[in-house]
Amino acid sequence: METIALETRGLTKRFGGLLAVNAVDLSISEKSIFSVIGPNGAGKTTFYNCVTGFYAPEAGEILFFNKSLVGRSPDQIAEMGIARTYQNIRLFANMTALENILIGQHHLLKTSWFEAILQTPRMRREETGALGEAMRLLRFVGLGGLGDQVARNLPYGAQRRLEVARALALKPRMLLLDEPTAGMNPIETMEMMRFIQRLRDELEITILLIEHDMRVVMGISEYIAVLDYGVKIAEGTPREIQGNTQVIEAYLGRAAASAA
Amino acid sequence: MSHYLRNGLNAGIVFGIVTIFLVLIGFTVTASDLIGTFLGNASASGVLGLPAVTFHLLIFLFLLGVWSGASGARKSPTEADSWRRVLSGAGLAGLILGILAGGLAMLIGSLLLAGVRMSTYFAQLLPDAVRLYLLGLSPASAAIFYVIFFFISGLLGGVFAYRVLRGSWRKKFSIWINTKTQWILNGSGIQLFKRTKSIRLIVYALAIGIVLLIPLVIGDYWNYTLGTVGIYVLLGLGLNIVVGLAGLLDLGYVAFFAIGGYTVALLTAPAPHHLLWSFWIAIPIGIILAAVAGVLLGVPVLRLRGDYLAIVTLGFGQIIAIMLRSDALIAFTGGPKGVSAVGGPTFFGRSLGTPEDFVYLILLAVVLVIFVTIRLRSSRVGRAWEAIREDETVARAMGINTWSHKLLAFAIGAAFAGLGGVIFASRNQFTGPEDYNLMVSFNVLASVIVGGMGSIPGVVGGAFTLKGLPEVLRELENYRILAFGALLVVMMLVRPEGLLPTSRRKMEIKELHEDANEAGETSGGKT
Repeated sequence: METIALETRGLTKRFGGLLAVNAVDLSISEKSIFSVIGPNGAGKTTFYNCVTGFYAPEAGEILFFNKSLVGRSPDQIAEMGIARTYQNIRLFANMTALENILIGQHHLLKTSWFEAILQTPRMRREETGALGEAMRLLRFVGLGGLGDQVARNLPYGAQRRLEVARALALKPRMLLLDEPTAGMNPIETMEMMRFIQRLRDELEITILLIEHDMRVVMGISEYIAVLDYGVKIAEGTPREIQGNTQVIEAYLGRAAASAA
Repeated sequence: MSHYLRNGLNAGIVFGIVTIFLVLIGFTVTASDLIGTFLGNASASGVLGLPAVTFHLLIFLFLLGVWSGASGARKSPTEADSWRRVLSGAGLAGLILGILAGGLAMLIGSLLLAGVRMSTYFAQLLPDAVRLYLLGLSPASAAIFYVIFFFISGLLGGVFAYRVLRGSWRKKFSIWINTKTQWILNGSGIQLFKRTKSIRLIVYALAIGIVLLIPLVIGDYWNYTLGTVGIYVLLGLGLNIVVGLAGLLDLGYVAFFAIGGYTVALLTAPAPHHLLWSFWIAIPIGIILAAVAGVLLGVPVLRLRGDYLAIVTLGFGQIIAIMLRSDALIAFTGGPKGVSAVGGPTFFGRSLGTPEDFVYLILLAVVLVIFVTIRLRSSRVGRAWEAIREDETVARAMGINTWSHKLLAFAIGAAFAGLGGVIFASRNQFTGPEDYNLMVSFNVLASVIVGGMGSIPGVVGGAFTLKGLPEVLRELENYRILAFGALLVVMMLVRPEGLLPTSRRKMEIKELHEDANEAGETSGGKT
């Protein structure tokens, strides 16, 4: 039987009168690529923010490898192994690429402020190790040689990849990607798709994906859930979703659905 | 209307208003004196048969005129540069400046002749100042003179802008500078310095030796000033951790300075508690109490961000200041009168109380604090602080416990201020509520910003600028603060990132070099 990485039961988040996420049940198997799609304002990013601990859900349960995430702080959740990227890239803009990745490793390092002042041998070993790991990740995402560049000065595509490298530095078991191909041309999009597949195949990370580009979604997802107005209206394999009238209706309106 | 004419009109009006303002506040007299000091008063007398003060004033006004012309001749983004256009802009700027300045001469000259005492309204506009501005001429001829004078200097400003600022001269100059610097950097002395460790060490040792000798020769006044600058460096380094690294805008920073100062005062002074403890014991206690206060303030307010945090910390600073001044605590803190006869450091029975001794003590403290800051900044903790400054939300998502790191920043920043306060109160042998007013917070914050947020050389440079520059500017007397404020504004406009901004550490390149070196060495051992 396959392990469930992330499971939500009746997850509900309300903003005033608006039900942003309404009783959503999801179950994501380990090492799968799972996409959440839906029209703008469907509650996808709110769902991410609930999982990563930035929003406290009003009702429902979130289980990560059978441990509840509800009530935990974002940094605790990150430490448990959930890393994320952002729809609009959010790097530490004035720090170098390497420093960005080193920050991702923060919770794996144990040096206290006191040890840092004394610069104990343990601290030096740890820093050398962390720097080596950061260089390895930099090369893994194809940014070798750009480590000393300030993040803000990197080209767009490189910033996207650096954000992934930073997330990988946490050694996550699950990666939440929020529109990773936004603003990319078709070639860059293809590269990103292959890269996401590599993450899953080589690093065995469970991938949860929010994406608008249907070629990406249909091309790499193994399972898809569709949200509309905070409600899960369908789920299934890409093939099942493509034929689902409710989904077509949500995206294109009722007339289009009946025409299909 | 052409771009150049519009530019000239603007520049003329702006410079005209500035000139009127400077005349009305009597700055013309000071400017003339200053230029006199600069050139040496004797040299100028007899030039063109003018009195020295008039000659110096004309130099000052000429520079203003040239500046206005250059400003009126600014390059247009759309129209092509040409002599005719540039000179039309510059000439118009000079002409308008001349008309405004001449009009003023006409006005205040006639008022003077009519016997109106203008100094009733403008304290510095004394009859002598007006006579100086009239250049010893009648109001009407002074007015005509100014129109011609500024028109010509404006035209010269246009020539200057066109030829020097954006013409071929500038290019030639920058090429010349570049080749010279290259020549110096590649010179054998510098190369030797870079390559040979022993020579580097000797040069550094000599430099440090010279720095250490400075306090012995500059006398008590400058030692005292240097000590004040040093204390501001301590405060700046502390606030640099809070504001510069962790990005928490703390306007009540003076509170921790006060806690350090009052700790040493209450522990060592004969009144109000007569504890008479040693200064050396007061140091760690002051540091710890300040750090604890930092944590206590931090716990409730660190959920706030940005402006809200600034307002609450501002309030905290005020609360401490008011408490120190209040009668309620008079038995404990000495109230508004403060605490006198604060103990100083002793060393095996010898008292170390001179400004000179304190300079060395402060230097030691600064070196220690810089050391701690460098170590922290290059560690996991420092990276976490910077991440919080850059984007707190993302920092949390990356597994950083922002709450504890912010508290740590507050505590360490406060500890540095506490250390500064202990030394400050002990050096003055007195401490009172007035030493810890809000201006201290603002000055320290300004020194961090002026120097360059997050940068250690920046803090040192900023403290020298903020506490040292006013001393140097004493020459200007009444206009000291005015000139100082203007300098700060200009500095922030010219270098918004600060005087000495941080440069990011180059880690990848260094690592590659080290890899290469280690591969090259057969032993592979570390030095």
